[in-house]
Amino acid sequence: MSTVATASDPTRHFFQPVIVCLTVASVALTLFVIWISLHDLSLMRAGREKFVGLDNYIRFLGDPRAMAALWRTVLFTTLATVIEIALGLAVVLFLDRNFAMKRLVRTLLLVPIIMTPVVVGLTWRFLFDSATGMANYLLSLVGIAQVDWLGSPRIALFAVLIADIWQWTPFVILLVMAALESAPTDPLNAARVDGAREWQVTWYVLLPMLRRALAIVALIRAIDSIKAFDLFYIMTRGGPALSTETLNYYGYIVAFTNFDISYSLAIAIILTIFTNVALLTMYSVLFPKTGDR
Amino acid sequence: MAQLSIRSVSKSYGAVQVLDDVSVEVEEGSFVVLLGPSGCGKSTLLHAVAGLNPIDSGTIVIGDRNVTNLPARDRDVAMVFQSYALYPTMTVAQNIAFPLKMRGLDRRTSDEKVAGVARLLQIEPLMSRLPRELSGGQRQRVAIGRALVRDPRLFLFDEPLSNLDAALRTELRAEIKRLHQSIRRTMVYVTHDQTEALTLADKIVVLKAGKIEQTGTPLSLYDDPDNAFVAGFIGTPRMNFLKATVADDGKALLAGEARVDITHLATRLENGRAVTLGIRPEHLDEKDGVTLSLSVDVTERLGSTSYVHGALASGESVVAERREDQPGFGETITLRFQPTRARVFDGEGSRIR
Ligand SMILES: Nc1ncnc2c1ncn2[C@@H]1O[C@H](COP(=O)(O)OP(=O)(O)OP(=O)(O)O)[C@@H](O)[C@H]1O
Ligand SMILES: [Mg+2]
Repeated sequence: MSTVATASDPTRHFFQPVIVCLTVASVALTLFVIWISLHDLSLMRAGREKFVGLDNYIRFLGDPRAMAALWRTVLFTTLATVIEIALGLAVVLFLDRNFAMKRLVRTLLLVPIIMTPVVVGLTWRFLFDSATGMANYLLSLVGIAQVDWLGSPRIALFAVLIADIWQWTPFVILLVMAALESAPTDPLNAARVDGAREWQVTWYVLLPMLRRALAIVALIRAIDSIKAFDLFYIMTRGGPALSTETLNYYGYIVAFTNFDISYSLAIAIILTIFTNVALLTMYSVLFPKTGDR
Repeated sequence: MAQLSIRSVSKSYGAVQVLDDVSVEVEEGSFVVLLGPSGCGKSTLLHAVAGLNPIDSGTIVIGDRNVTNLPARDRDVAMVFQSYALYPTMTVAQNIAFPLKMRGLDRRTSDEKVAGVARLLQIEPLMSRLPRELSGGQRQRVAIGRALVRDPRLFLFDEPLSNLDAALRTELRAEIKRLHQSIRRTMVYVTHDQTEALTLADKIVVLKAGKIEQTGTPLSLYDDPDNAFVAGFIGTPRMNFLKATVADDGKALLAGEARVDITHLATRLENGRAVTLGIRPEHLDEKDGVTLSLSVDVTERLGSTSYVHGALASGESVVAERREDQPGFGETITLRFQPTRARVFDGEGSRIR
């Protein structure tokens, strides 16, 4: 807290009103959402809503479709975060510190990140098309039978996962690369002189130095994956047979297909609480109070 | 037998020749200092010895092994980096134990050795801290401790004191000297500070632009420099250089209005030849000898002695030590020196003996 403004600091006249406005807006919105979620507001019965207390939350606990969606969200988030971090880190370590076409590679890495999710989703939908898609064509070249990527309930979630990994691993690579470049190289040389093999240099010295950066990238990716919507909407619409319906997507269906606004908002609040608890746990594990050991 | 032989090592980065045919012999148990101005290739040479920098040509032998193509971990050297290079995520104890861990030493022996080193360097209270919670001098000790814990064939120090304040530097300099005297291991020490070199070294290697200018004991470099660069680099304040001409009889030099007898030189110089005369400030305060008159600009008082900065009638500036009086601005004083104290250099800066 080195930048706490003192009472006499004139810049507070600029940032304090902004903070107040933002706080008021978000508190008011949250309270409003909680308030609605305690009613039974539905667009099918407009004007006849009444206070129902925690009914919507109790309904959630007994709703197998919601529970399945929650489980799917956990699975997708965990897999996406872990695979993207591991893959990104591996690529960075493999690419070494200095190589010939680094600038070109870096520019190419930006492409998936800046592509809009709609284009990414459509592209992967074409690639995964069971009859005409490139994925099956490539598999057929190596003699593997056709896979019904988006049509099979056991596989569709992983097809979306692949698209997500394709789009977001470069983001991990870019951030980890930047962290690697700003890390000092002398400790690595010191470890070599001290008798470490290259993998030991990486494991004992380099990775601990990158831990903070990795943790932050993991947090960002986890938050994004929990909220993922666009790829699901474009590629599968939650199907087939609800097999790719995440909690976020289910909330959307409840609100805009069933018009059950109160229940949808209850789901949103549960998702928010769930996210916060998960991330705070993750944060306290990654950054223990005693410092960044 | 030499503990470290660097034989005709050359290295260039692109078109820049950083090391040019460098050869150094380091005796078992001795303390050798690589001395030279910034950018002359000292670190490059040390990194080459440690195996962190590949060399273009030449051979490096440590003990009786040719290590030229061995990776750093197989060379059995310990290095203290200029930046300390402590492992930022490990505690002091873990930092010092790391080389032992990499050699697969068991926990008990390792703990004992680490404790021993901590006692020697007086860092016991710091053992559970992280490097960033230490002061510069403490980090320095930890870096030295990490090298000492291992008992390697060779110690390499890369300007380990350059980031410290003057008092701490003097203290740690003495500590390193004491350390060397008590453990008697071979050490190679890089610095651009000639005071450090003079106080620590058994042997000094003076480098300039990747070439060795001279190798010798501190005293021989100070007394008997091979060239004007070494003469100017060693000793503070710097040696004075005066333009001079060989007189008609070939037995004396004419520097300004002074006539300097050079019959002690083995070389006979032809008449009228232009040379440079080098005289150290501490040799300009004699009772008798050749006289020069100096008009004083500034006097630095250091307590026991003073240094007078001024100009000769010829306009050449000169620094002279003054033990008795402290002349002020504008005064004209007489400097005296013994002709045998003067060192003579030719037009290229090579010594004429
Ligand atoms: N990686 C590199 N690429 C290109 N040139 C380099 C590289 N490393 C060092 N040099 C050059 O090599 C020369 C010697 O560098 P070195 O680090 O050995 O100097 P030094 O004598 O240790 O200087 P200092 O006293 O400032 O530490 C310098 O001119 C430097 O610019
Ligand atoms: Mg250096």
